[in-house]
Amino acid sequence: MSRNHRGTFGLLTAMALVLVFCGGAFAATLNAYTVMPEKYASKVFEQFTKDTGIKVNFIRFSSGEALARLVAEKNNPQVDVLLGGPADVYTAGQKDNVFAVYVPKQQKLTPAEYRDPGNHWTGIGLIPLCFLTNTDFLKKNSLKAPAAWGDLLAPAYKNGLQMADARTSGTATERIYSLIAVYGVDGAFDYQKKLHKNVQLYTKSGAGGALPIAQGQAASGVFYLVDALDIQQQKYPVVISYPKEGVTFGIEATGMIAGAKHPEEAKKFIDWATSPKLGELFVSQKINYIPIVQGVKIQNPALDMSKVKLLKVGAEHKGDVRKKYVERWVNEVIR
Amino acid sequence: MSSSSMKKDPALIPVITALWLALGLFVIYPFIKLLLTTFTVDGRFTMANMTLVFQNSYDRLAFVNSIWLAIAVAAMGTFLGFVFAFAVTRIKLPAPVRWFIAAVTVLPLISPPFTSSIALTLSLGPNGIILKFLGIPDFNIYGFWGTWISESLTYFPVAFLTITSVLACIDPNLEDAGLSLGGSPFKVFRTVTLPLTMPAIANAVLLLFACSLADFATPLVLAGHQFPVLPTQAYLQITGLYDLKGGAALSFALLVPALVVFFLQRFWVGRKNYVTVSGKSGAQTSIKGMGRAGETVVLAICAAVISFILFLYALILAGAVTKTWGLDNSLTLDSFTYVFTHGRKAMIDTLIIACVATPIGGFLAVCIAYVTQRKNFAGRALMEVVSLLNFALPGTVVGIAYIIAFNSGPIVLTGTMSILVAAYVFRYDSAGIRSVIASLQQIDPSLEEASLSLGATSVGTFRNVTLPLVIPALIAGMKYLFIHSMTAISATIFLVSVSWSLLTARILECMTELQFGNACAFSVVLILLVFGFNGMMTLAIRAAGFNYRGQGGNK
Repeated sequence: MSRNHRGTFGLLTAMALVLVFCGGAFAATLNAYTVMPEKYASKVFEQFTKDTGIKVNFIRFSSGEALARLVAEKNNPQVDVLLGGPADVYTAGQKDNVFAVYVPKQQKLTPAEYRDPGNHWTGIGLIPLCFLTNTDFLKKNSLKAPAAWGDLLAPAYKNGLQMADARTSGTATERIYSLIAVYGVDGAFDYQKKLHKNVQLYTKSGAGGALPIAQGQAASGVFYLVDALDIQQQKYPVVISYPKEGVTFGIEATGMIAGAKHPEEAKKFIDWATSPKLGELFVSQKINYIPIVQGVKIQNPALDMSKVKLLKVGAEHKGDVRKKYVERWVNEVIR
Repeated sequence: MSSSSMKKDPALIPVITALWLALGLFVIYPFIKLLLTTFTVDGRFTMANMTLVFQNSYDRLAFVNSIWLAIAVAAMGTFLGFVFAFAVTRIKLPAPVRWFIAAVTVLPLISPPFTSSIALTLSLGPNGIILKFLGIPDFNIYGFWGTWISESLTYFPVAFLTITSVLACIDPNLEDAGLSLGGSPFKVFRTVTLPLTMPAIANAVLLLFACSLADFATPLVLAGHQFPVLPTQAYLQITGLYDLKGGAALSFALLVPALVVFFLQRFWVGRKNYVTVSGKSGAQTSIKGMGRAGETVVLAICAAVISFILFLYALILAGAVTKTWGLDNSLTLDSFTYVFTHGRKAMIDTLIIACVATPIGGFLAVCIAYVTQRKNFAGRALMEVVSLLNFALPGTVVGIAYIIAFNSGPIVLTGTMSILVAAYVFRYDSAGIRSVIASLQQIDPSLEEASLSLGATSVGTFRNVTLPLVIPALIAGMKYLFIHSMTAISATIFLVSVSWSLLTARILECMTELQFGNACAFSVVLILLVFGFNGMMTLAIRAAGFNYRGQGGNK
């Protein structure tokens, strides 16, 4: 009995190991975590496999989960690269030395402000914040789409807002940075306390509130443009607008994991992702990150930011202050 | 309940050693690793992480909320579970109706938690279908009410399974005796049936309390910010703030109430004698029911709950076959195409893991329940507590503990299938262990003693006498384990890897990516898979000839 029992687990472990080895021994492979939505990530990795012949195993997590795993797996990394996720996640991960230093071959094509001076990560796209509002709701209340941060405080939006929870979502921390850039630190939290009275629900993921808004369960919310455009492209009755005071934007990034088990493949991926190839894929597949690598032309007018006031906050700064602001948000806003 | 007259036998030592080894490796070791993470900073002991948690009033609120919610869910869920169990075991119903009730009851249990939460939001949330229909404009589902309704619906089948397995074993002759002595049906119910079912009810309450306490998926969708609960807080602390220590500290706050309930229940159930399978009963009579009025009430409650459940699942099915939910309601099979192409790997992985975990868990449940109930050895009570520990901890924390423990050091398992199987077995076997224990408590040890005194070995006695008697309880436990291996997410969200993915993780993925149709299609496929395999398990057991009639097994 006892031998059976231990034998079973031994056998299982052996089987699993055989599978893992078989998977890894025959072809060049790359293991990746991604923070991008699966439907985008699968297209990106498919194209990478087409271009290089390297097979990719990947799994998608929210940025917090991905980082928690990378930190927990630090001594025995399960993956070679992280694709996607805002840059402040990467700067937070650097405290635990999760990311390796690597200079991509075509680094010069990415403006210096969109990559890590220490070469732990490189930006691959920009994602500004925006307002997403249900048009039926606007008609019913004879309102215009919100055009200033203050518009969301109107009584018409009572119990009608859904937006991301700062504890889990990069979209929500981005919202806090935007508000701080507009109102200053204390002003930003005062605003959010007022806003809180209109909030119906804080969602776990940044995109979580978009569908309820599309379906009329909620009226409006603050989202990354990539998620808002995605729901709009599905033909729901929604409108995207920007506050006149301005919004900050996230830098979607990629980086190699320290101690990666397939370092050569990882380097090839970082080279590929920071070259115009990925930017062109974004454009051709209607993946709505604004490409930042030089030489890629944007076709979608919704990605034209010339009329939007964009506020700049350094990624380094975001990573440092994130926890402090999130704790303050928990203790003051959602109390 | 253990029988001290049993002689120590040599077969016991290797079994107990093996059990401790398994429990030590997959329960105690990760737990210790987690303790070290929580209570040490740079190798020195510190309470800083705990004090931080309890200084924070939002976290204190979460603690109180968790307890209230668990009590409310345990009460409501056990009540519903009992009503349903009573309907299928004590009311004369046509067989198809009985089967139908049992099948519908299992639905909420075998569907991934967020799907029922989403269906509930669509019907009772802002602009919800039911609210529109009833003309209630301002019901806010986010908070206590939504979480309570959803968890009660999700977990009452646990109570149903636990109570049914015991109610089915109660000899109707006892109730007949009460009736022929002139008791009214209700009086007989109150003084005979109910007290005999007490251990099962107590177990159901305990299980549901623990379920609700550790559930994080439902509150994540439905509790909102007004109603924080501990598992969600712990999860958010770990995944959002990368604060492993704070998250672990929060989950320790959960252990205390779970263990208090556990000991209460042991003390309370352990004091009464419930032996009903004595081997001395005569021929069985048919069940008599409890009078028209009582039956009407019971069936009315069942009908109401079943209609509501079916309505929620109709919503999910509708979501799976419409083009764009709420906008373009034309029929399409696109979502299913997606599931069978992009989701194939997850489907196969999930099935393999569940099929491996279930037999291991069943074997383990019988071993642990048997040695802790029937044998005297040092550390017996401790073994029972340890076997339930992973279940008492929030799944999120078990997952994190496993990552810490098996990522480096002597045993490296991250990224393997073993870690997923172990997480499921040691976390969800508790239902099996409890239900086998409950059924062992009802079996008179003299049956086993008779076998032993007739010269059978203790292994032979176990195989030919005890095992057939606990089979129904064991099957209930194994079904529960199988279902959870297919649908649970809280512990394993941290353990999926690039080589092993899970259906539930994919569903959560689709939810966060707003692919509502795909999420619904995944859920439908998952539910059908679980139903199919469950049916096959039941048939296999029938074919093997374990037809249980409360008379002792017929091997």
